[in-house]
Amino acid sequence: MSTTETKKELAEEFSGIKYILTSGMRSKLLLAIYDGPKNLDELRNELKKPSATILHGLKELETINLIRKVQKYYELTSNGFLLTTNMVKLIENWYTINKNKLFWNSHDLDGIPDDVLKDIYLLKNAEYVASTTSDLSNAFNAYIKLISKAKKLKIIFPIYSENHFKHLIKLVNGKKLKKLELVVNEEILKSIEENELLKKELLNNKKVKIKCVKRKLKVFLTYSEDFMSLTLFFKDGHYDDSQILIAKDKNAIKWAKALEKLYEK
Amino acid sequence: MSITNNIDNDIKFLAKSEIRLKILGELDKKPDNVQGIAKKTSIAYSSVSSNIGKLETHNYITKVENKYYINPMTQVYFKTLMDFKNSVELVNDYDAFWDKHDINQLSIESIKRITDLKNSQLIETTPIDIYKTHNTIKNQIMDSKNVRAIFPYIHPEYPKLIESILENDGTVELIVPKGIFNELMFRINSNVRREAIRNKKLNVYSFKDDLNLYLTICDDNMSLGLFKNDGSFDQNRVLVSNDRQSYIWAEELFNHVKKQVKE
Repeated sequence: MSTTETKKELAEEFSGIKYILTSGMRSKLLLAIYDGPKNLDELRNELKKPSATILHGLKELETINLIRKVQKYYELTSNGFLLTTNMVKLIENWYTINKNKLFWNSHDLDGIPDDVLKDIYLLKNAEYVASTTSDLSNAFNAYIKLISKAKKLKIIFPIYSENHFKHLIKLVNGKKLKKLELVVNEEILKSIEENELLKKELLNNKKVKIKCVKRKLKVFLTYSEDFMSLTLFFKDGHYDDSQILIAKDKNAIKWAKALEKLYEK
Repeated sequence: MSITNNIDNDIKFLAKSEIRLKILGELDKKPDNVQGIAKKTSIAYSSVSSNIGKLETHNYITKVENKYYINPMTQVYFKTLMDFKNSVELVNDYDAFWDKHDINQLSIESIKRITDLKNSQLIETTPIDIYKTHNTIKNQIMDSKNVRAIFPYIHPEYPKLIESILENDGTVELIVPKGIFNELMFRINSNVRREAIRNKKLNVYSFKDDLNLYLTICDDNMSLGLFKNDGSFDQNRVLVSNDRQSYIWAEELFNHVKKQVKE
């Protein structure tokens, strides 16, 4: 294939997004009108650009059927609304990972399937807690504090950690926690079975349900009705207990459920 | 809604260059060197090399020994950008279905996951088969044991279809506008209806506001129909699909509408 042909093919492949995303004016206009129909004056005030520039952008969007003019107001067409909603999602997705850059960029994200990765905007309100040199177990302690109040816990458990098990045993023997569901792989399950204490306290406890899956587990995910938390592995395969992402809103819990469902399959 | 300069610049930097997107696509699959990427993509070595340089300078990728690796955040950037690309394509591919149609009753969540419908098929009536859309759905319903649907109108054949599902011990869950609720119930054989309601095999919810959406969820298929902007139902087009993703998409939309039914 010649270079010109390759270039032409590439241009076609990405033409849909390029036209919208690379023009500041077109994308800003769509976002402004997404909030509700607006007239030229309102758009000029909001975008702080001269009328000619704005009218030019509006004309372009009208031509490709993303907006329409009704009386003096510009509004999104159905295609425009579908597209802009998805552009908003894209921006929220990027905002979400930018907000916790250190967390996302230092870990292996291969354990998060594409289907939930593309809805990462649901974690928009999540915050991450990191351990510091003066408090090495800051992240772990934050986690223990979180789970201590839960009535129901569901955990994707990718590591064999007696420290974690110790706390979980305390919780299942307490009154507050009514149900604990663990998703583990065969290797972890075997290790649990080989430990007499864990076998007795976890495997034989009515409150505990353990599900063994065949796949490799690369996320440590916990959720209850009121929170979700996530810890990950480094690219080199080591588990990182020094950074934990925590969120307490509905959207984040929804995201956690979706991720867990994919693992359970 | 506004966009921060930061994100705006990042998006522009990546979206502006098809070559950079193509390179990221390759690195997302597997770490590689310039030569390998040039070979796989048929892009000239010099272009790959200069764009790899730019991506590395801006911290999107990292060189380890001889190979370039995509950074974790770049992976998310890239995948979400491709998801957006797919949504744009889905809107364009089914342009006749969406354009000049009322989408107000789709939830924002369902629009955000619109790419779940990517394996759908747009069924349109033709002059020689003007009942194509209706018959497609009718066949889906007849082959199903359990049916959930949002019916904004009653087709004369619906009562019989519902009866036959119930008689075969299936379940039917419907959301219909208040205006047709009584009429629909009246037309279903009263014995079948009463027994089904008693056994919780038939649930019909009456929707108080306008219902500008048509949706069916059968055992292996879903179908979606829309109203035109002028307020009339578009009988000539329906989006159908038999894959898992669309099915879940339809279920979530059904539940979203069901939540709005005031008891």
